[in-house]
Amino acid sequence: MRECLSIHIGQAGIQIGDACWELYCLEHGIQPNGVVLDSQPDQLENAKMEHTNASFDTFFCETRAGKHVPRALFVDLEPTVIDGIRTGQRRSLFHPEQLLSGKEDAANNYARGRYSVGSKIIDLVLERTRKLAEQCGGLQGFLIFRSFGGGTGSGFTSLLMERLTGEYSRKTKLEFSVYPAPRISTAVVEPYNCVLTTHSTTEHTDCTFIVDNEAIYDICQRKLGVERPSYASINRLMVQAVSSITASLRFEGPLNVDLIEFQTNLVPYPRIHFPMTAFAPIVSADKAYREQFSVSDITTACFESSNQLVKCDPRLGKYMACCLLYRGDVVPKEVNAAIAATKLRHSVQFVDWCPTGFKVGINNRPPTVMPGGDLAKVHRAVCMLSNTTAIVEAWARLDHKFDLMYAKRAFLHWYLREGMEEAEFLEAREDLAALERDYEEVGQSF
Amino acid sequence: MSDTLTPDVIGRRVEVNGEHATVRFAGVVPPVAGPWLGVEWDNPERGKHDGSHEGTVYFKCRHPTGGSFIRPNKVNFGTDFLTAIKNRYVLEDGPEEDRKEQIVTLGNKPVETVGFDSLMKQQSQLSKLQEVSLRNCAVSCAGEKGGVAEACPNIRRVDLSKNLLSSWDEVIHIADQLRHLEVLNLSENKLKFPSGSALTGTFSALKVLVLNQTGITWAEAHVQCGSSRHERCQQVRGPVHGAEFSTSNCVISAKDIYPSEFLFQVLRCAAWCPGLEELYLESNNIVISERPTDVLQTVKLLDLSSNQLIDENQLYLIAHLPRLEQLILSDVGISSIHFPDAGIGTCFPVAGSNFCKSSTKHTAFHLFPFAVFQWSFFNELDKLPSLRALSCLRNPLTKEDKEANMTRQLIIASIGQLKTLNKCEILPKERRTAELDYRKAFGNEWKQAGGHQDPDKNRLSEEFLRAHPRYQFLCLKYGAPEDWELKTQQPFMLKNQLLTLKIKYPDQLDQKVLEKQLPGSMTIQKVKGWLSRLLKVPVSDLLLSYESPKLRPHDDIKLSLDKIKLENDLQSLRFYSVENEDCLLVRW
Repeated sequence: MRECLSIHIGQAGIQIGDACWELYCLEHGIQPNGVVLDSQPDQLENAKMEHTNASFDTFFCETRAGKHVPRALFVDLEPTVIDGIRTGQRRSLFHPEQLLSGKEDAANNYARGRYSVGSKIIDLVLERTRKLAEQCGGLQGFLIFRSFGGGTGSGFTSLLMERLTGEYSRKTKLEFSVYPAPRISTAVVEPYNCVLTTHSTTEHTDCTFIVDNEAIYDICQRKLGVERPSYASINRLMVQAVSSITASLRFEGPLNVDLIEFQTNLVPYPRIHFPMTAFAPIVSADKAYREQFSVSDITTACFESSNQLVKCDPRLGKYMACCLLYRGDVVPKEVNAAIAATKLRHSVQFVDWCPTGFKVGINNRPPTVMPGGDLAKVHRAVCMLSNTTAIVEAWARLDHKFDLMYAKRAFLHWYLREGMEEAEFLEAREDLAALERDYEEVGQSF
Repeated sequence: MSDTLTPDVIGRRVEVNGEHATVRFAGVVPPVAGPWLGVEWDNPERGKHDGSHEGTVYFKCRHPTGGSFIRPNKVNFGTDFLTAIKNRYVLEDGPEEDRKEQIVTLGNKPVETVGFDSLMKQQSQLSKLQEVSLRNCAVSCAGEKGGVAEACPNIRRVDLSKNLLSSWDEVIHIADQLRHLEVLNLSENKLKFPSGSALTGTFSALKVLVLNQTGITWAEAHVQCGSSRHERCQQVRGPVHGAEFSTSNCVISAKDIYPSEFLFQVLRCAAWCPGLEELYLESNNIVISERPTDVLQTVKLLDLSSNQLIDENQLYLIAHLPRLEQLILSDVGISSIHFPDAGIGTCFPVAGSNFCKSSTKHTAFHLFPFAVFQWSFFNELDKLPSLRALSCLRNPLTKEDKEANMTRQLIIASIGQLKTLNKCEILPKERRTAELDYRKAFGNEWKQAGGHQDPDKNRLSEEFLRAHPRYQFLCLKYGAPEDWELKTQQPFMLKNQLLTLKIKYPDQLDQKVLEKQLPGSMTIQKVKGWLSRLLKVPVSDLLLSYESPKLRPHDDIKLSLDKIKLENDLQSLRFYSVENEDCLLVRW
């Protein structure tokens, strides 16, 4: 029993969560009301179902009535977004206690999310978390979905992470975070929130998978032919990567490739824990059979920057670790051939001090896509997680934006009014500067 | 290799160093000793000649440099289906050292693998395999009878693209043994028409059939047909009608309009697969020549993209497929489309038809202004009552970035039932905006064509109705455009701000009535100053008021309204709503 609790915080977290559980349910054959679709006519299918069922305990909890309830908690400081789930298609999938909302929103303000508004709801959230944790035989860890830019996502998450560390000190905490996109922005104070939350959660998170809206937006437009991608399209693409990452936890069997095992590989220093995510193939539904995606094709593709879910240039950095998570009809010898070919084609540069660095896993369950969605159903897919020093570019960009505003103390009063002090800003900024230096240092040769 | 040189080798598909070819000749080519194979390459640039050597014609090629002679031992005739599966999935029981060699290093770092061994063990159990992908695995035949059924009976999805299958017979042999087969991908194989017919039930479970880029060898059939091609085609066509196969997706060469044998493959395939739901026929040079009545009835998705020979007339023929939901037509030869008003247009039962047009060829064919093409095309689509989703990216109309937004609005306004455009949902608000804009944008045209706010006087010209079939409906929905809506906004320039005013002197009737243009922003003070210089009357004595032909006085307020006093010196003329053609009354 290695259960994982998912916590979805803020608008971004909840909307991703909605898409995420939609896909999980589809992959495990769970209907929107929580009942498993079974009684397949032939035995083989049944055997397969049993095989599948055996392991999704890690993400779903079975009630005595036979319903499967996601091990998930949705938290927001204001009700509108959560109400979307309460009234949506999957309303009966979740227990009402799993959907928590406050009354007053964080207004894109870290200080409100963390101090004034967030502190009112934190005890309730922890209690609900405890309840969910008590249903687990052996809790493995937490998966946290949130954005860096929003008030709830940044502020409340940092508060929750601190408290979770206090209560569940040994449990792994993985984050899937929406990083503020370089050019698309929803709030002017995003850089403040982002710097503050990164500072306060660095020591509490084990690994943060960052994605940014702009990168996914571009993929949707260019590769899927969606003229104006909505959050729904963006999230559906993003959860494909999330699903690939968590597939090893959800599908058991002799081939189980544990995420924790990969995580050990991915994080060489506790502070250097921001792997970049790439996913391939990304192909639109009407081209399903027009293009071919052999193992070597998708391997090559996931090293291209057009398949990355974060905007940064991996050629500018060195790799510390790289994990390839294959799914579907993939044969080991093809993987070996594909990686050997990658070696010839790409200048994948590793840091000197790392003895191995490349890790490959295969999960033989093919990826699933939402029927009627933008993505085509494919037989195989690969998700690449790579810890590269190139990601420092993203932090540098953010720090620069922070500095521009902070030099003039612009928008600062919103934070001071909620009880924060300027010293907190300075401290956070220094921490980020240190993070940039850390990345520089690990990239240096002996 | 001597056994491979039997005559039946002719027509077989072979692979030589990754290049695919068809064997056309086997035998001796003097003066060089030894057996030779004459092959026609798929890629005509690979060959050297057209099948003749030193004056002797050994075989014929479609392309003057499409042929080569090759020693039989250099040619790969492919393997059977089961061997290919074993090659790909079954773990070889090699010694441990072999395994070591498999470890790949990247730079000088070894690549760690997790769970490979157990995965390989699992995949080795062929009976559990459900999905088999054998792309580019040189499969050429079905192998021993019953062998496949015994080893891996549970296969549901098979990808046999880019293999060496030379005839449908082999495909049928394989499919016969796979009871559960649902998805079959035969792309990039050049398949000959089967000698026998398929057993009924061979493809009974098949739902998805992919035949992309299989039709390139239609000329192969011509070669085989030889001189009797015409008669044979007629013969084949006869029984087809007799057996009530009224569908035939014909393949017609650009040079030769006789249907080749391939077209009957498609047609017969469709008949074999009673439950077919998705059919992909990309890049096959298909021409649809007859209306399908008995087959293809269950098809939900039809991909006809990159078939340049399909034109608008052929679309009516598939218009009657009852279950068709999605139709992919990117890069086809359609340049315009027209559905007859009442008949076929309304019975096109496409539920959520997805026209994907992404051809850049249109510009080449069509030198119309974009707008003309656009109207006819999208207005015709409006006649499909169940069209819900439309994608039309990368075509001449939507290419320009600047106008992308505009085009989107126009498409939305022209197709009333559309719910999704370019994969983005059309929200009610967007539709409303688009339709209002459309109504306004073409208001003047509507006016000229005889449109009128009063329904009784509304006499629209046929031409306008044809160009804007939804306009009348939009007028009903939002009301006909009012005159003021249709006025075009003048750019903000002094020239456009001038008011033409008549200046009258009611008390001094001997003075001439003067007409003058004044800017609306001129203050009363300035007007008075100008008048005092003109009339040589002190400013303080001047009293200004104006009357407007629009102010038709009511009886009771006549006196107070028809002359509006301009009292405040600091206000402008516009403040008092002085308009063009008004009369300025000056008293002193």
